[in-house]
Amino acid sequence: MGFPHKPHERESLVLSKHFGEREAIGLDGWRARGGYTALQKALAMQPAEIVQLVKDSGLRGRGGAGFPTGVKWSFMKPGDGKPHYLVCNADESEPGTFKDREIMRWTPHALVEGCAIGAHAIGAEVAYVYIRGEYTEALEKMNAACKDAYAAGILGKNAMGTGKTVHVYVHKGAGAYICGEETAMMNSLEGKRGNPRIKPPFPAVSGVFGQPTTINNVETLAAVPHIINNGAAWYQAFKRADNPKSTGTKLYSVCGNIQRPGNYEVPMGFPFKDFLYDLCGGPLSGRQFKAIIPGGISVPIQTRDEAEATLMDYEGFVANGTMLGSGGVIVIDDAQNLVKQIARAARFFAHESCAQCTQCREGTAWTTKILERIVAGEGTHEDFDTLLEIAENMTGKTICVLSDSCATPVISGLTKFRADFEALIKKKKVHMVPAQVA
Amino acid sequence: MADAKMVNLTIEGRAVSAPEGTMILEAAKLAGVLVPHYCYHPGLPVAGVCRMCLVEVEKSHKLAPSCATAVAEGQVVHVHSEKAIEARKGVLEMLLINHPLDCPICDQAGECELQDYTYQEGRGEGRYRDPKRFNPVEDFGGDVMYVANRCILCTRCVRFMEDVAKEPVLAVIERGDRALIGKFEGEDLTHPWAGNVIDLCPVGALLSKDSLNKARAWELDRSASVCPGCSQGCNMIVETRDNQVMRLRPRPNDAVNQYFMCDHGRLDYRWMNRRDRVEQPMVMSGGSLAATDWDIALRAAATLLRGKRAHVLASPNLSNEALFLLATLVEKTGGRGTFRVNQGEEAPLAGVDDLALRADRAANVRGAEMAGFTRSDTPLSGLQAGDVLIVADEELAGVDASDVAHAGAVIVIGTTLPSWARHAAAVVLPIANCVEEEGTFTNLRGRVQRFMQAKAAPGLARPSFFAVGDLLAAMGEGKGYWTAAEAFAALAASHEEFAGMSYDTLALKGTMTAGATAGAR
Amino acid sequence: MSVDAADASYAPVFTGARKTELNELLTRYPTKMAALLPALWMVQEDRGWVSQEGIAEVAEVLDLTPAYVKGVVTFYTMYHQHPVATHFIQVCTTSPCNVCGAEDVVTALLKHTGCEELGVQSPDGKYQVIEVECLGACGFNTPLMVNERFIESVTVDSVPALLASLD
Repeated sequence: MGFPHKPHERESLVLSKHFGEREAIGLDGWRARGGYTALQKALAMQPAEIVQLVKDSGLRGRGGAGFPTGVKWSFMKPGDGKPHYLVCNADESEPGTFKDREIMRWTPHALVEGCAIGAHAIGAEVAYVYIRGEYTEALEKMNAACKDAYAAGILGKNAMGTGKTVHVYVHKGAGAYICGEETAMMNSLEGKRGNPRIKPPFPAVSGVFGQPTTINNVETLAAVPHIINNGAAWYQAFKRADNPKSTGTKLYSVCGNIQRPGNYEVPMGFPFKDFLYDLCGGPLSGRQFKAIIPGGISVPIQTRDEAEATLMDYEGFVANGTMLGSGGVIVIDDAQNLVKQIARAARFFAHESCAQCTQCREGTAWTTKILERIVAGEGTHEDFDTLLEIAENMTGKTICVLSDSCATPVISGLTKFRADFEALIKKKKVHMVPAQVA
Repeated sequence: MADAKMVNLTIEGRAVSAPEGTMILEAAKLAGVLVPHYCYHPGLPVAGVCRMCLVEVEKSHKLAPSCATAVAEGQVVHVHSEKAIEARKGVLEMLLINHPLDCPICDQAGECELQDYTYQEGRGEGRYRDPKRFNPVEDFGGDVMYVANRCILCTRCVRFMEDVAKEPVLAVIERGDRALIGKFEGEDLTHPWAGNVIDLCPVGALLSKDSLNKARAWELDRSASVCPGCSQGCNMIVETRDNQVMRLRPRPNDAVNQYFMCDHGRLDYRWMNRRDRVEQPMVMSGGSLAATDWDIALRAAATLLRGKRAHVLASPNLSNEALFLLATLVEKTGGRGTFRVNQGEEAPLAGVDDLALRADRAANVRGAEMAGFTRSDTPLSGLQAGDVLIVADEELAGVDASDVAHAGAVIVIGTTLPSWARHAAAVVLPIANCVEEEGTFTNLRGRVQRFMQAKAAPGLARPSFFAVGDLLAAMGEGKGYWTAAEAFAALAASHEEFAGMSYDTLALKGTMTAGATAGAR
Repeated sequence: MSVDAADASYAPVFTGARKTELNELLTRYPTKMAALLPALWMVQEDRGWVSQEGIAEVAEVLDLTPAYVKGVVTFYTMYHQHPVATHFIQVCTTSPCNVCGAEDVVTALLKHTGCEELGVQSPDGKYQVIEVECLGACGFNTPLMVNERFIESVTVDSVPALLASLD
């Protein structure tokens, strides 16, 4: 639903159906809404059956990469004698994204259930839910949900009376965007600096505590109980006719200069134009959309034309010059100084760089300084070339993609909105060159 | 590694075969290609963070960090392709934007990898126009000083303390471009092996306080040597300027010390530069020592020894060559050879097998034992009235001078003249110290290792093997040796532990003595 | 280093109930180190910030070195390395909130709290305002945190009432 607004009739409410319902937060209320029936069912299934079901559903990772969830789970080899771990990525910190927060604060048991099913499917007895430290309300609700689930025998050494062990532990982050990167999250969980790790080894081989690990996003895991209960075919049906690769419903967080910001749940392939104008109410009065960043601040900026031509799924966004990413739609209208916002985005990445890779540590800060200088009217045309070259040096050369993410809005900004940059150079003050120097 | 599967690949057009699991950077070394790098060091776990060693691997859409990418069959690697060079140029530019560019006052200049690679493939001119980051210099304790402004955050120092020394007193603190290397207040770099972080630092960020501003790297002459600080036998480089030892640094030897050297060995070099040296042979004449020439002094010594038992008290820091010749002298006179060893606290380097600063603070304890010398804390016990006492490179510190008076006569073969000897010595033969001569030491595990001459001996002082060889010749035993190699060859020919060895076969990394298999190294 | 040696007046956090809590927490992880972030949270909850002595104590109870712990503390921005004001106000000013006027909210907060500038406590020590990066509530701009309390949809006009509600 469009929380904090009433649901729109064109939404497909699956994950967000109970957003805003206080009764759904607690265990009894959740059970009254069908909670934990999927877990009961799943615990009676073989892990391989669950993995196959999820594969068949077409569910793909909702954290940004869009990797097929069932395939990811199939990398975990049952019976290898090692402890397996499930880590739920609830570090939601991609600017523009606030969907996982709503799942956790309105339907925490949906996530506990999803984690428990996921753990069982990959042969893990322990699932850690890594929640960013700033999400105090989500932390409170998740801690309470886990406590109640343990008390009710849903979690623990005899989960739902099946004799199986399923632990779900909440782990609180402490302020680091990069911990949303899966290998950084594993390091953070281990009590280390949140530095991304070099891959290989991949988490399924050597993950948290050096053991086989699967990391899934909150929204991904929250969708699993619905797939267990309703079947793969039901989930498959949420798609556009000409693209079978993206299935299911997707939560989008909408923010910025738009009438009705909030979370919206639509099926894959939904027209972005209808989404922006009908569901979200279009631009603020007297203004026009200028730029749209549809998948969190790390993805390329779309022009209004590109956005309006987009069908909202993994492939649809790529076809229109950007990515689905985390589904955090940031809308910027014609009253904004776009260059300032790109500079602000760069400052974000400079602040969040873990400091490992040279290009990222230095490049994010350098990019920020140049952009802020341009915004202050002290830029030159040479700065544009430098920015693009720095961006090139920051792309595809580092351990993780934070560096690439910083370069992305710079590149798309300078290529799609060059006039905005030019306008700031024209304002530049003319410095008198002392005669004797010439 | 003998049965490791070999992988064939091509690096810069050269065919290379490397064991499975080898990283491209190491395989490139086999092909004679150096991939520029900072964070990678063969003695440390791979970090993969500097991104300097990016290379182009055909059929791979992204550049690969060669320190963290394993070789694969049929791989074609380009180190110097335009794409790879552009990427590294980008890294170099980024590393320099906040760097103070203060090479003229930086100790690392001349041996700085940031300088080297920038000259090699960096941009001619920087494009950075904004204010530079500034952090103050910090004393890390021990011998280490941290110049944060020059730091490139390669984390070699952090990894050394964490994974090799197993005492993580350094950490990357803060993040983003505010990050720097830090320690906890009050917890200094006092670990006995901490000085290695200075060598490991590829730039001028971690400096030795001991050698601060003392010499420029290009002024130094370098000689391969073996540390005399304990019985471990760490391979080292002696760096001199104007015949003064300025600095000691580790020389890699996987079988002994990998890439490391302890602070005790590293900083204990001032005695090598002592000015109060015996510079000429002397004989006792009219109650005081008088300078003379070698022939007279040797003849005088031989005369004293005629028909007498020699009690030789030798330093376990003498070379095998000198010790075995002294052993010959003991044997010929029916005498006795003893030595004593200074003791200190043992300090292992936890992350490396069988590497420690040993309690025996002398380089050739094993050699002295093999030569038949008896180890004793009271090395003069057994000295009989009428014996000729030969004190070889031993200052006799702590020994009661009255014990010396027991002897019929005292011959000093040494680098310095201790005060007791001014009245007690009948003959003084000046010798070179271990950085002024060539020779071999045998370490505690039985590895025989060569050391080279690093500086000239003062005055008429002669190499120890030369002096003892000539003394034997004066006694009618042999003809002496012109070179250390000859002395060693004679030793190898007559002692089965050294059978088959020569200076050529020992080369720079040494050989285990026959039958010495104890210990991994 | 021993905690006592650092500061005789430092009273350890991990005694009694906190110690029990930490021990219970340790059963959740296969390593002691994994309890580092939670342990630092406990120090901050009890003391308001993570002092040098706090770092030393956490290092001791988890068998780590203080330098290691310092490296971790300084990585995560939510651990306070200095004491903070009674009401520590963190305002999101990242792009999504920025385009909706977050900077004006910051200005209003500075004005109404009497703080001279960002990061500097008000003369009465009651308030301290800082800008932070994305708080993850972009649709509820402007979001901010006062200590551990998350507050959504703050506007320039709602600032005075918000501040009044804190007392």
